[in-house]
Amino acid sequence: MTVNVRLFAGLHDLVGKRDIVLDLPDGATIAQLRHRLAEEYPIVEAFLSTLVCAVDEEYVPSEHVLAQGDNVALIPPVSGGA
Amino acid sequence: MFAVIPDPLDPAPLVQAVRRDEAGAVALFYGVVRNENLGRAVRYLEYDAYPEMAIKKLREVADEVQAQFDVTAVGALHRIGRLEIGETSLLVAVSAPHRREAFEACHYAVDRIKQVVPIWKKEVWDDGAEWIEGHIPEVPEHTAGDPAPAT
Repeated sequence: MTVNVRLFAGLHDLVGKRDIVLDLPDGATIAQLRHRLAEEYPIVEAFLSTLVCAVDEEYVPSEHVLAQGDNVALIPPVSGGA
Repeated sequence: MFAVIPDPLDPAPLVQAVRRDEAGAVALFYGVVRNENLGRAVRYLEYDAYPEMAIKKLREVADEVQAQFDVTAVGALHRIGRLEIGETSLLVAVSAPHRREAFEACHYAVDRIKQVVPIWKKEVWDDGAEWIEGHIPEVPEHTAGDPAPAT
């Protein structure tokens, strides 16, 4: 299956794209997505420890099971406000 | 009123949106771009956001504030894109019957926004730039549709 992944802030700069598509086994979890991401984009690996993921605009844990066509956002530590 | 927009923020419509006949106080917070951070001169800031989710999270913070404080209404606007020194990045307005609740709830709302809303700022200096890493948002232990955690 494929999932759509959106990148923000430093990750957006590093990868140079706002959106990427990852190919994952059916029933893959967020943990597997993170692993695949590090394989395909090694430059992102250093960011993984502080990265959280969101699906359908909600933060999800590593065990969250993904579905075909899911929209996943990679959320680095947030720094809004002033 | 909740928005995440690239345009300059106007406090007047926000204050009007939270004003209520039973509210004797409106607290209004401005987050403003400062010319230095940690002793380093800042030239300008660049904000990135996940706008749809950011608006959703602003609303959730407002719901949290409504549940925890005696307030009548909450609104928040966040600007994104390039902001110059002195420009306003965040406006939060809270109305309440009395001033104490308005101040306290507004303070709480700003703290929570900085913890959970997917917005990021990049500081740009004369000799470089860096995305600022703030808070890691808390993640629920279990979400709907996931297998139950092992017990």
